Amino acid sequence: MNDLSPASTSLLDFLIDRINIGIFAVNRNMECTLWNCFMESHSGVAAASVLGKNLFQCFDELPHNILYHKINSVFILKNFAFTSWEQRPYLFKFRHHRPVTGPVEHMYQDCTFIPLKDEAGEVQQVCVTLVDVTDTAVYQKMMKEAMASLAEASNRDGLTGIYNRRFIEEILNKECQRVQRYGGTLSLAFIDLDHFKKINDTHGHLAGDNVLRASSTLLSESLRQSDFLGRYGGEEFVAILPATHIEGAHILAERLCRHMAGITVQYNDIDIPVTASIGIAEWQPTMVRYENLIKAADHALYQAKAEGRNCVRRGT
Amino acid sequence: MTMNNANLSIEQIDALQEIVNIAMGQAGDSLARVLDSFVRLSVPRIRLINAPQISQYIAEIVGDAEQITAMRQSFYNNFCGEALTLFSSEGCRDLAPLMGYQQPLDAETEKELLFDISNILVGACLNGIAEQLGADLNFSAPSIMAANVASSQLFSPDTLPWAYALQVEVNFSLEDHKFKSHLIIMLAEDAIIALGDSLNSFIEAI
Repeated sequence: MNDLSPASTSLLDFLIDRINIGIFAVNRNMECTLWNCFMESHSGVAAASVLGKNLFQCFDELPHNILYHKINSVFILKNFAFTSWEQRPYLFKFRHHRPVTGPVEHMYQDCTFIPLKDEAGEVQQVCVTLVDVTDTAVYQKMMKEAMASLAEASNRDGLTGIYNRRFIEEILNKECQRVQRYGGTLSLAFIDLDHFKKINDTHGHLAGDNVLRASSTLLSESLRQSDFLGRYGGEEFVAILPATHIEGAHILAERLCRHMAGITVQYNDIDIPVTASIGIAEWQPTMVRYENLIKAADHALYQAKAEGRNCVRRGT
Repeated sequence: MTMNNANLSIEQIDALQEIVNIAMGQAGDSLARVLDSFVRLSVPRIRLINAPQISQYIAEIVGDAEQITAMRQSFYNNFCGEALTLFSSEGCRDLAPLMGYQQPLDAETEKELLFDISNILVGACLNGIAEQLGADLNFSAPSIMAANVASSQLFSPDTLPWAYALQVEVNFSLEDHKFKSHLIIMLAEDAIIALGDSLNSFIEAI
């Protein structure tokens, strides 16, 4: 950079001024020594108004302490310093270039602080480049939202919208580990629609789907906020009942059973009556694994089926 | 250890050790001015390491720290490489006031603080080395390599694009603070040759 001809010097000046990146510099007194066109047009403050003035006095929105330490470290250590939009979205609260399409409120910025040394190698000024990374920030935000909705979708049953078997087992596993470690109570209910195959055979699979959807809606409305409802498979639902002992679970299951028997599902002007059998079980420390709680509730469900359906049975 | 073509001569290693010692001394001084407290540094250790043994080396450096957080930062120009800063899980927060941060820190600000700390450690040490070698380095922004992992999980030796590397290691701590960190500067294969050339010029100039 030592042997620049006048022509190339002016080319450099032109580039620094007009490049699509903010460039400014400060001396040891934090007075501005450079303020390019990008900085002018985004801050709305002309170079003539900031040059020779203290940067922090011109812009009181700047994070004074952190920025001061950062610039000071560049003077002392002769190192580079940085800010990244992910931790600090902006230094200057500039408007972004997406007045029409932008779902964001300001320009996201990545800044680099560069030491400008004199011939003796001492840092006399610190140059700051400010890059507009709003697009990157917007795409990252969209990607995060997409990932979150994918994660949510992968936990849900496609037909009923309640949790699927994989996710409900995951929750059950965590709940079992929690009571095993910290104590407390936990119950599980297996809910199976009665004579569901007959509904499918008589009225068709679309009618069956309607019954499954109506049942899951009714069950989730009848459960408490802290309970978890999932579709275990076919016409079988599972409800995890945290902080609930077997007596409480029994009362709740009887209520579910009554509610189910109280509805009919309409399909093509046909009223389809529904009932459910329910098996319940309470977590015992001797069970050790969540699969054993499932086994106990499933066994109780088998009994409820065997003993006439539309009823609740307890397992151990 | 056989490191054939990219190995540094004993004379080169001696010169590098001397340069690094001086650089770290200066770095300690400047960091003390930035942080306004006394900085303790270990004697820098220089060695050539093999990729398959990388996890052993890291475990040796961090000692019994159960979980570590690692920042990485690239440097380039006359020679290029990456600098790693390893922190044990806690002990950075008490540096916040020294760096102009207000407590309490939220998760993102704490990350920014870690970036700032590793950036000044890396910058202070590498600039001291570069200056003596007549080199002028550029730096990229630091990024997180891993957060709260076991030291064995930091690298997966199978995927490393190098077989051997030069490692300069120095430990930092601050008087009256819990803060402790390890700085590891690593140059892989070809970069060692470039550094060797710079060292030769340095030796000739003495």
